[in-house]
Amino acid sequence: MAPFVEVMRKADYNKVYDEKLNNRRERRERSARRDDPRQKAKRKLKFFERGMGIDLPFLLLVLVLLIIGMIMMFSASFPNAYYNKHDSYFFIKRQMIFALIGLAAMIAISFFNYNKLHKFAGPMMIIAWVLLGIVLIVPSENGVHRWIGISSFNIQPSEIAKFAVILFFAHWGSVYYDKMQYAKYSVAPGLGIFAFTAGLLFFEPHYSGIVIIAILTIIMLYEGGMKIKYLAMGAVALVIIVAVAAVTGLLTYAMQRMDGWGQALAYTSADDPKMWNATWQTRNSLYAIGSGGLFGLGLGNSRQKYLYLPESQNDFVFAIVCEEIGYIGALIILLIFALLVWRGITLSLRAKDRFGKLLGIGLSAQIGIQVVLNILVITDWLPNTGISLPFFSYGGSSLIMLLAQMGLVLSISRTANIERQ
Amino acid sequence: MARNRENSSQKGLLQLLRFRTTILILVILLVGFGAVAVRLFYLQLIQGPELQELAVDQQLVDTKLSAKRGTIYDCNGKILAQSASVWQVIIAPAYIETNEQRRYIAKNLSKILDLDYDNVLEKTKQDSYYVIVKRKIESDEREKILKFCDKLEDKYSKLSNVITLFDDYKRYYPYNDLASSVIGFTGMDDQGLEGVEYKYNDYLTGTPGRIITARNANQTDMPFQYEQSVEAKNGDSLNLTIDEKIQSIAQKYMEQGLIDNDVRNRGVCIIMDVNTGAVKAMVTANGYNLNDPYSLSKTTLNEIAQLPEKKRAEAESAALGKMWRNKAIADTYYPGSVFKMCTASMGLNEGTISDNSSFYCPGSVTIYDHKINCHQKYGHGTQNLFQAIANSCNPAFVSIGQSLGEEKFYKYYQAFGFSEPTGIDLPGESDDIFFNEDGTMSETDLAVASFGQNFSITPIQMITACAAVANGGKVLQPYVVQSITDADGNVVKTTETTVKRQVISKEVSKQMCDYLERNTTQGGMNNGYIAGYRVGGKTGTSEKLTSSDGSEDYIASFCGFAPADNPQVACLVFFDTPKGAYYYGSQVSAPVFVKIMSEVLPYLEVQAEYSEDEKQYVDTVAGSYIGLETSKAKKQAESDGFTATVKGDGKKVLSQIPSAASKIPTGGNVVLYTSDTEEEKVTVPNLVGYSVSTVNSIASSYGLNVSISGVTASSSAVSVSQSIAAGKKVDEGTVISVEFGGSTVVHD
Repeated sequence: MAPFVEVMRKADYNKVYDEKLNNRRERRERSARRDDPRQKAKRKLKFFERGMGIDLPFLLLVLVLLIIGMIMMFSASFPNAYYNKHDSYFFIKRQMIFALIGLAAMIAISFFNYNKLHKFAGPMMIIAWVLLGIVLIVPSENGVHRWIGISSFNIQPSEIAKFAVILFFAHWGSVYYDKMQYAKYSVAPGLGIFAFTAGLLFFEPHYSGIVIIAILTIIMLYEGGMKIKYLAMGAVALVIIVAVAAVTGLLTYAMQRMDGWGQALAYTSADDPKMWNATWQTRNSLYAIGSGGLFGLGLGNSRQKYLYLPESQNDFVFAIVCEEIGYIGALIILLIFALLVWRGITLSLRAKDRFGKLLGIGLSAQIGIQVVLNILVITDWLPNTGISLPFFSYGGSSLIMLLAQMGLVLSISRTANIERQ
Repeated sequence: MARNRENSSQKGLLQLLRFRTTILILVILLVGFGAVAVRLFYLQLIQGPELQELAVDQQLVDTKLSAKRGTIYDCNGKILAQSASVWQVIIAPAYIETNEQRRYIAKNLSKILDLDYDNVLEKTKQDSYYVIVKRKIESDEREKILKFCDKLEDKYSKLSNVITLFDDYKRYYPYNDLASSVIGFTGMDDQGLEGVEYKYNDYLTGTPGRIITARNANQTDMPFQYEQSVEAKNGDSLNLTIDEKIQSIAQKYMEQGLIDNDVRNRGVCIIMDVNTGAVKAMVTANGYNLNDPYSLSKTTLNEIAQLPEKKRAEAESAALGKMWRNKAIADTYYPGSVFKMCTASMGLNEGTISDNSSFYCPGSVTIYDHKINCHQKYGHGTQNLFQAIANSCNPAFVSIGQSLGEEKFYKYYQAFGFSEPTGIDLPGESDDIFFNEDGTMSETDLAVASFGQNFSITPIQMITACAAVANGGKVLQPYVVQSITDADGNVVKTTETTVKRQVISKEVSKQMCDYLERNTTQGGMNNGYIAGYRVGGKTGTSEKLTSSDGSEDYIASFCGFAPADNPQVACLVFFDTPKGAYYYGSQVSAPVFVKIMSEVLPYLEVQAEYSEDEKQYVDTVAGSYIGLETSKAKKQAESDGFTATVKGDGKKVLSQIPSAASKIPTGGNVVLYTSDTEEEKVTVPNLVGYSVSTVNSIASSYGLNVSISGVTASSSAVSVSQSIAAGKKVDEGTVISVEFGGSTVVHD
């Protein structure tokens, strides 16, 4: 492991270039703020700051994934669009508009000084909770409250909740950086924020949202400096709960309740038509993935997208990707995602302040977690409960939100290494 | 210093953050992405083929293309059974979105297809893409459905796929009930259920084709081309040995025979080519309408209606089974005296008897306390072999049987093909029922078996044996399918004549033909005599073991062949349980045989050669005028060459004397009764001892008819007996059979 870690540490290949700029900048700015380093966060900054330029590799990876994602989403969505909306381009047209809005937001936000977000950490959390509360009142869609519709534009409050949690703990971890080893400053707020958010998500219900919030909370606390023993205790508790559930049969029951989670191939239309229908989407996702084989059926040649896999443009888009471009193609896409996550996290580590570091790591890690959870959902290892695949899944609010978050990471990248000494 | 400490603590924190971030990256990328990569590897490469198969299963739709069922022809290429295009109406109700649409579709479909509205509405509510609304609709209904489809598409553009018409076929039988038990019919799925339709189902069905297309989840074709089709191979056609013309003749007279003799348990007529075994006609009367095989006759339905409700369904299916049953091969009966032609053949072939053998008949014979009566109580006295056959003398045949012994008798029984099914290519052939299954029998059994009693065989076995007696001793395998041709007209299979064995020598066969021919000429029409033709044959009347109402039930049969000097066709006629005036084979079956063969032989272009005498005495067959309007009946009787006397003033003819199908001389008197008025009685005069012309003139002066029989070229033409004794009172118009030349009506 050690050599690998070493490689990553040395990966700051633009260090020399950075330092040149830094020196210039430092000289200019040192005079302005040679006071207490504690004041760093409060120093006066212009609203938009060009800094020393965005991280081009990261931007490139974002654009590559966005383009591949749009192509694959179009391929996966056109039969559905054709048969149900009578316009093959229904989804791609909208997604392109969302992408343009998102890209604009991303560029704009990359100029934004993320330190301004400190004061939004608390309010953002409150806003997320309010939205999560509102969504429960909004009429449900198939018994699920997940979206708030504003005319034709749907907002998914859980997307905002995820961001709010990252932002909140980035803020918390940077403010109480020296007290994080105490349970009072780490476990307590962690449990509190998680429990309240998860409670609201539970009523939607949005189980995968809970899982993501839980993972994000843990990552942020862990990165923030929480003692490992609490994490270990949590892990032990989780194992015990799962073991008990498995032994008592509660797990099976829960799996069945969650639309036949993990049992997509276990039902037949004759034996149990209800469960057969409940597992329809996941089963057809497995059919699609399995049909792909090593090289796939070829771009555009999916058969499962012909209405067998419902809503193939949304969470299950990657199943069609697997069917069309095979295991090799899927691995390549996974590799690009991995590069993006790695690049996002490593550049964030070089941010000039702790808030930026934590925020950037959280946002980058979120991409990786969503990718992993999404694919585990479509492969029937997690319940089918709405985790979209970043850059691939159709959805205005989530794409714009995602690109905005990428903009934030780019903004962090501008300030990376500025204060390094 | 403080700042340094702070710096170092910050540095420590930074190092911790870097370390933890490294771990985080490793966890996400190695554990998370690793798990994903492994999971995808498993699903795509290990479980892949299995999942792909499941996917393909649901994506590909296999549509069956019906193959056209082969045609059934008679021996002259007339169509007996044919399939014509019809259609199936299928709906895909899953496309339908609103109840209004459902009602609209159900209303129109039920109207066009003449179906129950609620029933159709129920079908439109199913969540399915394949619901059969109606099968086998014809082209006029199809046109209407197609028009409705256009209308539906105009109204609701999304519903264009709801109604589909699938090609299908329906079976038609142009001759309705002709040869029904031979042809059989097909079920809803075009599968043969009876007769050759069943037996040759594999040839007739052909191979259905398939179209395999890729479909989306809504079952409409995917935009990309994926289609594989295998064309349907139409079924092979059958060319039967049955001749529509001969079958019609036989069926006509058999049906009339059923009515005339009040036959309770149907009748059978088989006409067979004695040299090939080809069955020219096989009638089970009454048959049933092949185009409507599930409807029973009114009388049967009435009988069923009188049963308690619980038993009705059972009775109905039993009645259907009985109606469909091919009596000619599936029912067994005691052959009776007809079998004597076999017994005599056995004796001659074994040499235990000869032309010169003499038999004495005292009227009965006693075997181990079993007294066996001859039908002529006072006995036949001393007879030679021919006379024994002509008299159908039981004691004489008992002694022939005894001369053979049980073993030899059974050996011949087997050789004649009675111990095994004939192997005719029809379903449901029965086995014989011999005394003991191993072929052994007691002496008493042998005695009665010699004249055809107490063992059961099928009519097809009897006529096959008769053919062997006539054709030079060859036991043949009878068949009804001459050849099978495929849809392109190539012959797939031809039935060759199968000679199973030689049972008797040619010489014996020739001798038997001679005896049997002389037998018919002696007995007149009651022995199968047909003027102008050389016919050989034997009557038979057998007792039925089970009687329906305590009274004795009989089977009246006649089996013969023609021409006797060069046999071509054999014909068996048998009526099961005649309850009319007569029950003897000579009176019930022989006349029907004569009527059938009188038409069949000219049709087969067997040259008739009337002797001068015969020309003089050729009788005419009286028609049936019962049920006709009086004036019409009179006209018809006169046009048939009779003088008609109408009694009573009713509108319709209730009864007639002589009865239908009796043979009476041209110009004879037919009395038509139109009301139940007391019938005028006439005292029968003595007609014995006169010449033909004298008998005729006496009879006509009394208003009676005479049926002259046994008048052959060789006969001395002096009447020897009259069927109704002098002094008896009979109805006017009664036919009195007067026999000439010493022939007698055999009451066997």
